[in-house]
Amino acid sequence: MERSQRTITLASGELPYTVVGEGRPVLYLHPAGGVRWTPVLERLAESHQLFIPVLPGYDGTLFHDGVDSVPALAKMIGEFVDAAIGVNCDVIGHSFGGWVATWLAVERPDRVEHLVLECAAGFRPALPNGVPSDPAALRAMLFAHPEKLTGEEKPPEVEAGNRTATMHYRGPVLGVDDALVARLGEIENLTLIVHGTEDRRIPAASSQLLRREIKHAYLVYIWDAGHAIEIDQPERLFDVVDSFLKRSEAFIVNWGTTAIPLSS
Amino acid sequence: MPYTEFQGGGEGWPVPNRDFDPRRAEEHFRTYVDTMAYAEECGFDWIGCNEHHFSPYGLMANPNIIGGALAYRTKSASIAICGNLIPLNNPIRVAEEYAMLDCMTGGRFVAGLMRGIPHEYISYNIPPSESWERQREAIQLILKAWTESEPFGWEGKHFQFRQVSIWPKPYQRPHPRLIVSATSIDSAKFAAEVGATMGMVLISDLETTKDLIRVYRETARANGWEPTADNILIGMHCCIAENSEDAKEALRVGHDYFQNTLLAAVRNAQRIVLQQTRYHKDDENRDRWQKRLTQRAGQTLEESIAAGTTLCGDPGEVVEQIRRVHRELGHGIFNFTMKVGTVPDEVVLRGMELFRDRVLPHVRDLGTTEEKAWNAVSAR
Repeated sequence: MERSQRTITLASGELPYTVVGEGRPVLYLHPAGGVRWTPVLERLAESHQLFIPVLPGYDGTLFHDGVDSVPALAKMIGEFVDAAIGVNCDVIGHSFGGWVATWLAVERPDRVEHLVLECAAGFRPALPNGVPSDPAALRAMLFAHPEKLTGEEKPPEVEAGNRTATMHYRGPVLGVDDALVARLGEIENLTLIVHGTEDRRIPAASSQLLRREIKHAYLVYIWDAGHAIEIDQPERLFDVVDSFLKRSEAFIVNWGTTAIPLSS
Repeated sequence: MPYTEFQGGGEGWPVPNRDFDPRRAEEHFRTYVDTMAYAEECGFDWIGCNEHHFSPYGLMANPNIIGGALAYRTKSASIAICGNLIPLNNPIRVAEEYAMLDCMTGGRFVAGLMRGIPHEYISYNIPPSESWERQREAIQLILKAWTESEPFGWEGKHFQFRQVSIWPKPYQRPHPRLIVSATSIDSAKFAAEVGATMGMVLISDLETTKDLIRVYRETARANGWEPTADNILIGMHCCIAENSEDAKEALRVGHDYFQNTLLAAVRNAQRIVLQQTRYHKDDENRDRWQKRLTQRAGQTLEESIAAGTTLCGDPGEVVEQIRRVHRELGHGIFNFTMKVGTVPDEVVLRGMELFRDRVLPHVRDLGTTEEKAWNAVSAR
């Protein structure tokens, strides 16, 4: 499937992004490890048009002046939706991207349709565990099945840059983003929260908090998945997310083989 | 059995259980079993309960457990589980548990084989579109499990068992009486085809019900058997008090809670099932169902009493209401749902005593001499 690499000029700077697939537009916000092309995205692109920006500072890109917090990042992404997508879209955010996506839903409800939060960061009731610097230990923390990770590793300097970027946006927020939690009740979007049962980076309590505070939310645990949920269990995650995006709240119904076919 | 502390809220499905209080549930279950046992003393021939999932609408996730509790608290009343949701469960497990209950009660067991309503399918992740064929196949399998004299295998569409030989088998031979819900033309035909008693609880109106009974009788004859009045079960909400106004006030409050609070989430689930896609491609079908769902909810208590679909008033009024419904429908089994929503337990108990002392003596002999047994089920 052809992935189109583009760049758009926003008020704060240039933003590179990928467009892939055809169908309803979906904005995908990547985790703190930067953009990674996963089997889940591959499958979603079969019936959706994915827009995947590289958040400033990640994967070797430059920071944008004045964009120095998660809410500021969300505001910039809102501008990206206006300029690059031009219509309302569903939003998927993974980990750090889920944190940004939640701010986007709060700040730009006019642009967001359905919201999917994959083990979102920003809602940890306890201080996070330290991130191991040893690559093997890091993989053990993030993956339930590190053997499923294929493709090229990112160069050490890019990974270091990504860690710096997360620190840059996160600022003093280590556990719960109280300002955002206070506004979760404003979210009217139908929201799917997915969480791996083996996630050792973000506790289930984070997703439980989101389920409790967002009015129209569903929480689904993905069995035998760690924090790298898209790599650990791509089929299970895709089935849930794709069905949610296409059937809305009716995704909870088992339609068997006689349902109206899923189409975008 | 409703969870009457539920305050409502939420627009989706399922109902969040964050405020569930197990201590209140303990009281509800104890009261429920005590009430059902007392129903036997009040002259009810049957006592029974049903199965529901994921909702304060009913706490009976497995009514067979209550059946077990009732087996040794009662001596003569039939215990009617109306019933296990057959398409959702392992049919062999149903056959086994029902056979246990039949043995435990010494043959006082009545086997409800229900199809269930849409939200139950969401709860157990079964495609609603398969409900009919699962029901049909499962009932055949259950009957085989009860009646085959030698071990057998089953290679069906939905169920496969290489060998079946259940222990225990039912106490009653060839098997316990069957009840199948029959609130549509298709289900009335199906009940007759499998030789089951037709069950129609919370009927919408007498004319429609008469039609269903006609279809049931015609189908039974076409299948070589003649139903008696005892093969027709009619269910209604019922409240009996010393004076008419007290009965109506209690049922009005309880019914409002039932319709507007307990059933709200169930209606949400119905909507989700009917919605099918994000874009509501089947608007016409969805709207027709929604209209049907809200029709009953829109009736006042007085309207439903006048329509003959609710029993409510002082004992004399209820006697007349029962006579009228029987005159119209000619049924032999009357299911009284007396714990409707938040109707107080003391009102339920007093209503049962009034039924025993001042209603039953006037209605027990309704029907033909051969069919004079006047059965009634207590609270659902």
